[in-house]
Amino acid sequence: MRELNQVQAIREALDEELERDETVYLSGEDVGTFGGNFGETQGLVDKYGTERVRDTPLSEIGIVGHALGASIGGLRPVAELQFADFAATAGEEFINQIAKMPYISGGRLKAPMTVLAPSGAGIRAGAQHSQSVHAWTGHQPGLVVVAATTPYDAKGLLKSAIRDDNPVFVLAHKKLMGFKGEVPEEPYTLPLGEAVVEREGEDVTVVATQRLYHRSVEAAEELAEDVSVEIVNPRTFSPLDVETIAESVRKTGRLVVVDETPLRYGTQGYIASRIADEEFFSLDAPPRTVGVEDTPIPFSPTLEDEVIPSTSKIVDAIESVF
Amino acid sequence: MVSDTNPHFEDVDAETVDELLEQMVRIRRFEEGVLDEFSEGSVPGFVHLCHGHEASHAGMGVAMQPDDWLAVGGSRLHGQYIVKGVPFDEIMAELFGKATGPNGGKGGSMHLADVDRHLYGHAATIGSGQNPAAGLALAQQMRETGNVVLSTIGDGGTSRGSFHTALVFAAAWNLPVVYIIENNGFAISYSTQQQVGIDSLADYGKPLNIPSYSIDGSDPVAVYETISEAITRAREGGGPTLVESRVTRLRGHFEGDKQAYRTEEEARESNAERDPVTNFQERVIEAGHITAEAYDALVDEIDDEVGAAIQFAKDSPDPAPSTAYEDVLRLPLYGQGEGDA
Ligand SMILES: Cc1ncc(C[n+]2csc(CCOP(=O)(O)OP(=O)(O)O)c2C)c(N)n1
Ligand SMILES: [Mg+2]
Repeated sequence: MRELNQVQAIREALDEELERDETVYLSGEDVGTFGGNFGETQGLVDKYGTERVRDTPLSEIGIVGHALGASIGGLRPVAELQFADFAATAGEEFINQIAKMPYISGGRLKAPMTVLAPSGAGIRAGAQHSQSVHAWTGHQPGLVVVAATTPYDAKGLLKSAIRDDNPVFVLAHKKLMGFKGEVPEEPYTLPLGEAVVEREGEDVTVVATQRLYHRSVEAAEELAEDVSVEIVNPRTFSPLDVETIAESVRKTGRLVVVDETPLRYGTQGYIASRIADEEFFSLDAPPRTVGVEDTPIPFSPTLEDEVIPSTSKIVDAIESVF
Repeated sequence: MVSDTNPHFEDVDAETVDELLEQMVRIRRFEEGVLDEFSEGSVPGFVHLCHGHEASHAGMGVAMQPDDWLAVGGSRLHGQYIVKGVPFDEIMAELFGKATGPNGGKGGSMHLADVDRHLYGHAATIGSGQNPAAGLALAQQMRETGNVVLSTIGDGGTSRGSFHTALVFAAAWNLPVVYIIENNGFAISYSTQQQVGIDSLADYGKPLNIPSYSIDGSDPVAVYETISEAITRAREGGGPTLVESRVTRLRGHFEGDKQAYRTEEEARESNAERDPVTNFQERVIEAGHITAEAYDALVDEIDDEVGAAIQFAKDSPDPAPSTAYEDVLRLPLYGQGEGDA
């Protein structure tokens, strides 16, 4: 099958959806001639014009706030943030407006908007350009939060996000932008709200996405002689597909949750607690969680590499449940 | 002879001209060193260089007293650290992510902070530093320190509500703060013209009756004079000032930016006409303020210092990985471990 990298997969998804539905438009900083921070919007302004591919002034409040109104007004905005960290500068828009207005209206307001942003650490960009934000955004009922792990995911999930009638936050990972994977030529979408078993195994379930998914695969390979690791990729963090993870744990009896968000009040603990609640008697060992140990992401390579879970940390966590 | 085209030149004393020149050359030569090292792969992450902003930084730096605070903004940062008096060694070490940098490697190019020198640091979420600057100014006012706060921002950052809110607070409380907009015409690829239809970003101060100026930021003397006046006003209780310092970004937004959004001609013209370092160099030499030989000697001396800083950064140790977990909170928390008081 044909291979694309993540940037190409995102660009293709945007292109196909802009082509398919004229209520779809793209806006964000430098999405026009510049072509997006990672090249993900390259060429789109030439094809669709400045009405539908809009460079914006530098304000995330403006970018996501206007998208809420535009979506209620009948459009399907794709609002891009240059770094996921900047979602915090529009915290009010995300938390109190986008996530709540449809609910408060008694379901009358429909906000079919997509926010697209690169998240994650590893490019030596420091504490305000390296965060994974699916824990705090996932904490807001009313938002759908999606994380892309492969180019296949990125394209299929983004297309679904654009077509979905809820506000969806789609997170790609900066370190995976150049990462290549198979993407079919034929158009496809991937279901939101559904996890996928990426690698079948018998002995332990590892839940992981994005960069740490790839490290989990490395860990699984390292341990392959002794342990058969099953890896589940949640794809959508909120709302979470607990059943797919539970089904896996019913088979393996062990759970390790790996994620790049801070551990404090985080995704790892939530996933582990849902499984502890629902599958307590399937578990042969207490679930383990791996994440950022409650620090901001430091700049220096030696420090950044220390706080982002390494393959060997994941190996240790897997070994510790036996 | 001072040429007629430089009306401000005679208004400042020779010592100030020396300082302005030296600071500008320091910034340019430092940035050339950073560029070399970045190209070599010694500087992790990405860098945004100051080429074109030197006069603006130098004028501001020379106008400040050492105890005045600087909250840096925009993306042209190294020059601001330099004029605040942070030694080359320390800046370079932080850029390299070494333990000997002021932030111990936690900050890097975008986040250098040196509290002893009253350098607050930078909000890399562009435009988030202006309200903290207002608060720093409130602290000066309430504690009667006599110090003033300077806060810079790029043209792009002025689109954020946080910037406008900071002006509102500064005006409401008559705070001793000077907001400087370094308008280089671009927020990455987005031009100021596209962004707002007003002639001058200094007009943002008008509805609040904040004294506002728009100046040629490639003229260090003009910057020095305007900022000095604003600092004096703030120190004497006259409240905030807003200055638009018009500059040219002589390189890409970051190193590696292909600048497809900019015509080659425009970029070339900018370089020829608006390079503040060569312009000021020619001006001071022509005016007989400094000889060409003395200027070359100054450049050599600064290059040596840059070379030594690079060597220092290279020789410095990486931070110990365990330090990643330090500085998140100051512990113990108040009363922690002492029981109910
Ligand atoms: C809140 C926020 N949004 C977007 C960015 C990404 N970004 C970094 S610099 C920049 C342009 C800044 O332009 P300007 O303020 O004019 O400063 P200049 O780069 O010209 O010095 C952008 C959009 C950011 N760092 N922070
Ligand atoms: Mg600018």
